[in-house]
Amino acid sequence: MTGEKGNKLARVIPETSLSIKLESDPKLDSTSQKRIGDQLRAMYDELVQQPVPDRFRTLLDMLDKKDRETSA
Amino acid sequence: MTTPEPDLRDALLAAVPSLRAFAISLSGQVDRADDLVQDTLLRALSNLHRFERGTNLNAWLFTILRNLFHSEYRKRRREVEDPDGSYAGRLKVQPEQGARLDFEDFRSALARLPPDQREALLLVGASGFSYEEAANICGCAVGTIKSRVNRARFRLASLLNVDDVEDLGPDSMTRAALQSTV
Repeated sequence: MTGEKGNKLARVIPETSLSIKLESDPKLDSTSQKRIGDQLRAMYDELVQQPVPDRFRTLLDMLDKKDRETSA
Repeated sequence: MTTPEPDLRDALLAAVPSLRAFAISLSGQVDRADDLVQDTLLRALSNLHRFERGTNLNAWLFTILRNLFHSEYRKRRREVEDPDGSYAGRLKVQPEQGARLDFEDFRSALARLPPDQREALLLVGASGFSYEEAANICGCAVGTIKSRVNRARFRLASLLNVDDVEDLGPDSMTRAALQSTV
């Protein structure tokens, strides 16, 4: 279970070709790419779902009010 | 300053969650991210005349935020550069409840990407912008964005050893613990 370092189900381009590949565009296989993408979106969605801090609501309300007063 | 119409105010407020997510992921610091979002809203309001109605408000706001981030980043470059990952270690953006350890590794890896790669990946891979929109936001060619996104993914995969990890479930912690004893 733990000794499977060599068993690469999803693989990054081997070290030997790394420097060459970095010159052009490195490409991940689709499995790794999906994994990275899923993790990224999961992390990001958690941030998006955080409640909006009051300061933003207050800020926009304040500007709204101020503008109504100045235009009145 | 132009009057924010009620629907515009709502649109700006509705954009805040995604602006924050982008700013937090970009800067790695919630306080700084919130300041960036606030500056973005203020700048947007004072430049409303430049916004073309009917175009993508979010893309416009992201562009402002991104530019603010970069001008600030240039100013504090020394402070922010982080070859040994101590900046990454300061990424404490988890909410108290439901904190998930598996995101910590991901966040630290993300923080170690060059900023241009990080923002490209965030725009395309997380915020849902097309390559073309991301290129507009960053003021560069579409090909450049594609290349940055590829490099970012590749680098993340290396940093996270994606090829060694079979799943990202709770087991990965046990596995990491076992591997560190080898």
